[in-house]
Amino acid sequence: MKKWFAAALLVLAIGYTIYGLTTLTLVTSSGRPAAGFFPLVIGVLLILSTAVNLWGDVREWRAARQNGVAPRHLADPEAEAKADTFGVDAHAIDGGPEFGRDVFIVFAYICAFVAIMKIVGALIAMVMFMLAFLFTFNRAHPVSNVIYSLALPGFLYGLFKILLNASLPTSPFGF
Amino acid sequence: MFAEIVSNLSLGLSVAGSPEGFLFLVIGAFLGMIVGLFPGFGPAAGIAVLIPMTFGLTPTIAIIMLAGIYYGSMYGGTITSILINTPGESATVASTIDGYPLAQKGRAGPALVMQAIASFFGGTVGVILITALAPSLANFAASFGPSEYFLIIAVGLLMLTTMMGDNKFKGFISALIGFAIGTVGVDVMSGQQRYTFGSPELIGGVYFVAVAIGLFGIGELLHCIFNGQHREPAKRLRVSFRDKEFWPSKTDYHESRWTFWRGSVIGFIAGVLPGSGATLGSIIGYSVEKKVAKDPEKFGKGEMRGLVAPEAANNAASAGAMVPLLSLGIPGSGATAVLLGAFLMWGLQPGPLLIVNDPEFVWGLIASMYLGNMILIAMSIFAIPLFVKFLDIPYVNVVPVIVLLCVIGAFAINASIVETWILVGSGLIGFAMKKYGYSPAATVLALVLGSMAEETFLQTYIISQGTMSLFWERPVSLVLSIILVAVILVPIALNLINRSRKRQSAMQG
Repeated sequence: MKKWFAAALLVLAIGYTIYGLTTLTLVTSSGRPAAGFFPLVIGVLLILSTAVNLWGDVREWRAARQNGVAPRHLADPEAEAKADTFGVDAHAIDGGPEFGRDVFIVFAYICAFVAIMKIVGALIAMVMFMLAFLFTFNRAHPVSNVIYSLALPGFLYGLFKILLNASLPTSPFGF
Repeated sequence: MFAEIVSNLSLGLSVAGSPEGFLFLVIGAFLGMIVGLFPGFGPAAGIAVLIPMTFGLTPTIAIIMLAGIYYGSMYGGTITSILINTPGESATVASTIDGYPLAQKGRAGPALVMQAIASFFGGTVGVILITALAPSLANFAASFGPSEYFLIIAVGLLMLTTMMGDNKFKGFISALIGFAIGTVGVDVMSGQQRYTFGSPELIGGVYFVAVAIGLFGIGELLHCIFNGQHREPAKRLRVSFRDKEFWPSKTDYHESRWTFWRGSVIGFIAGVLPGSGATLGSIIGYSVEKKVAKDPEKFGKGEMRGLVAPEAANNAASAGAMVPLLSLGIPGSGATAVLLGAFLMWGLQPGPLLIVNDPEFVWGLIASMYLGNMILIAMSIFAIPLFVKFLDIPYVNVVPVIVLLCVIGAFAINASIVETWILVGSGLIGFAMKKYGYSPAATVLALVLGSMAEETFLQTYIISQGTMSLFWERPVSLVLSIILVAVILVPIALNLINRSRKRQSAMQG
């Protein structure tokens, strides 16, 4: 996936630069830099750097495939820097078993939460998100899940809507 | 000079010490401790997620509360470093080296008290130095032109990416992504729309809060889930300050008396330097303490000085990082970038003029840091059992709190569903960035500073008639240009030297 992310960045960088070139003015009539100048500088740097980055990631992936070695765990940059400083494997600081499927499920729930928020209102959307999340990952405690799913959204809705007077989507029932 | 500082501080105390100021300072410090407690959820994420909760407040009180979250997290992060060998946030990693062995030796109580005292000492020394330095630096910076500002931004971002070890290049790309996102909206120089795709919601640009909450809040959360934190059982720990063994011995204080000073000064310097911050400060603080010790073999096995040094350093660094933020308007880390974003959201433009134009705000904030450190040391010692109880909460119950705060918070800013989707997209990108070695902090920093970087770059270009000669003609610019070149070339040179040495030793071997 790492190389695909790098490839996506390169495609976006090319798209960003081409779109900027076709829609923005680069230089004014008096020869001064215009709205498209800075984006062009950023775009060119992005294309060059993401291309080199993709090349490095593909090379790393090929080397791993040829050697039959699983690619090393990719910790976050902070953990990598810390691991470099302490001379230990980054995996020891930030790693362990990986739960990609759970990430996918949680992200799907978040998307659904945002998608229904305008339709059913913030309060009901929050309750539905919590019930779905807790009954997926914390099935052993159904009663506390229900209580928690009602109490937390109720508290946050009260805090934002009543105390902070924030504008939140309301349901057809008026809350 | 001294009389002026005292009068400014008393003005600040009247703001921070008001009932409202004090209440939200306590809330901020308390929330900061909790933010620090949960591994994988740093101060940047904490501030970003909690920004919407400050909507009903005045700008000064809101920033006092957010700053309390920032430096409060430095206190909270060490509790887990000592008790479960898991740093609550990156600046407390160095504290695990001796903190956890101390707990294993049955000295968790003294370690927790000493870390609180060291944090207070470092934080207070840091704030005293801010009081002395920030106004002078602001006066000095008043003479800065666009070339100096552009170079400071460039040096800060490069230093931040240099900190990323093997991932420097990915850090550079992360910063460019931030600049690219920052170009969306109306161009300030010409008024032309850029990358808005005809959407009226994008004319004002991509709002930084939604991106910051997404990258730091949702991104970090997904990364924690990826590492299985939501499947881990809660840690059942008990600490009571009524135990006899809870308090440090006289030897602990005596042996660490110079460590407090060394850690604080080192940490403050690291904090002031753009891009380095509390993590590097604490690591250097620990390394220096070990080097100057007559008995370095004791370090790593439960040595109190090995805990005091990084703790004093990371708190002094968090204070030091406020100096460039307040006096130049340039943050040096992800957390201070989010703070800068909050400043801008409240209509406050940090920089040399802020101290002159809004002394109540600046001195209120500085005075609140004195008070905040006092509140935090009291909380850190007497409320340790309470904070340890927070670790009883399984992460699976923390996840929905963070998601709801992020989504509702992002929507509530401008009642915009587009911004809420930007939050969701940024969350996914933030997760991928963390997983594949990119730097969300560099992206946010570049996004917040993007318009300033563009403006100062173009001004330099126009003033120098396209030659960019301002970068070497003005003395401060010349020094900054040399630093910039050194930051780029020194690592490359060191890399080449190391390679040739390795080659030579391989040929000899």
